[in-house]
Amino acid sequence: MAFFREMVNQWEKMANDVGTKMAGSSEFSQVMQGTTAVGLKAQQAAHDAMAKALSAANMPSKAEVEALAERLFHIEAQLGRIESLLSAQGSTQTAPQTPKPKRTKTPPPKAK
Amino acid sequence: MSASDTPNPLDQARVEFERAMQRNIKGLDYFTSPAPTLGISPKDLILSKGTLRLYHYRALVDEIYRVPIMLVMATTNRGYIFDMVPGQSFVEFLLKAGYDVYMVDWEPPRAEEKHLGLEDYVLDFLPACVDKVLETSGEPDLSVIGYCFGGVLSVLWAALHPDGPMKNLVTFTTPVNFKGMPLFQAWSDQRFFDVDKLVATFGNCPPEMLYSAFDMLRPGGRFAGNLRLWDNMWNDEFVKAYRMIDRWSSDMLPLAGRYFEQTTKRLMWENAIYEGTMDVAGRPVDLGKITAPFLHVVAEHDHIVPYEASKPLVPMVGSTDKQEVILKGGHVSLVAGANAIRRLWPQIDQWLQERSL
Repeated sequence: MAFFREMVNQWEKMANDVGTKMAGSSEFSQVMQGTTAVGLKAQQAAHDAMAKALSAANMPSKAEVEALAERLFHIEAQLGRIESLLSAQGSTQTAPQTPKPKRTKTPPPKAK
Repeated sequence: MSASDTPNPLDQARVEFERAMQRNIKGLDYFTSPAPTLGISPKDLILSKGTLRLYHYRALVDEIYRVPIMLVMATTNRGYIFDMVPGQSFVEFLLKAGYDVYMVDWEPPRAEEKHLGLEDYVLDFLPACVDKVLETSGEPDLSVIGYCFGGVLSVLWAALHPDGPMKNLVTFTTPVNFKGMPLFQAWSDQRFFDVDKLVATFGNCPPEMLYSAFDMLRPGGRFAGNLRLWDNMWNDEFVKAYRMIDRWSSDMLPLAGRYFEQTTKRLMWENAIYEGTMDVAGRPVDLGKITAPFLHVVAEHDHIVPYEASKPLVPMVGSTDKQEVILKGGHVSLVAGANAIRRLWPQIDQWLQERSL
């Protein structure tokens, strides 16, 4: 098993060295980003097709759902502000439930 | 080596046989048992604002240091790296050592949060958290600890608020010279990487893209890691640690579209912090304006933020009381795991003790 472990270590080192050298080259970046660009174009085309299909089916598109979500988000934020105002008012009226620790701790004496 | 040191082949064979049996039994258990529950130290959510969460951890001792600590997590990952499981939790360690601990953590930004930019994080989220920590603790100042990109955000915030309430600043593996990250540079090569197109298509940067970019830094790491897991399947401690770290590292967050675009253009392409040309919403960033006591901890074998990327941070910061500590370990093992428990945490405690009065 010791041989196996050493072999795994060696293989990993070699794979990392070769892989990072390859990934650091501009050719690799070009190929990788080219592939990403193709993927993005395909995704964009799928979005457009889906938006048309949803529109034909009289259903909301992703952008419309996002707009709705944004409005909900603002309502949530407003609710959060109201909630914190209410809790601030409440906390002035009621005593804290658990005693807070004293903030008086000092460093332990250094060992000589 | 004496004859008594030489392992008996029969004993060795017996050990290997037992381990092989254990691998089969525990391997089955591994695939059928749920992932470990992480981040369970008792805490209260005290601020929630879109992607932002601010937690206050409940004290574990009766007497604490005066100055509260605010941990700032990187925007790419979850904050439970600081709070894995009892006994292996930085948060628990700090609480037991007598600190009042808060953590800035992030939820995945929603589609409608794609417009969030660096200025939202640095000039809105962090100041709101600081105000809340001061209000909750009743103290006029706080210590800030930022991890990786959480450190970048902390440094930007600190530089733009030189008269603010920051008493101490600690950063872990925080890059400032982005040209010192060659593989990320290659991944985001300006000649081929159309960040505008990506953001226009996806809104937010998908976590899968970030995950593959991180994976690319160690192409052999995942396969070798799986082989090591199989080899150590008999060892409960190894499997537990592996599952925790594996779960955390694959639990990546998307990045808000504009924020991703800004970090790519300003930091990766222009290297603006290092070049001294960085601004946030038009406000110039000068790290020399940070004068609070400063500690920067870097990992010797950090493949994500190599030393070249983080080395200039200490010289750039204006503090007179400043220190860099280089510890053994990698980007993750520096802050969590056995190495962190032995090396990092006690050093942080020692550094903070006298500065938290």
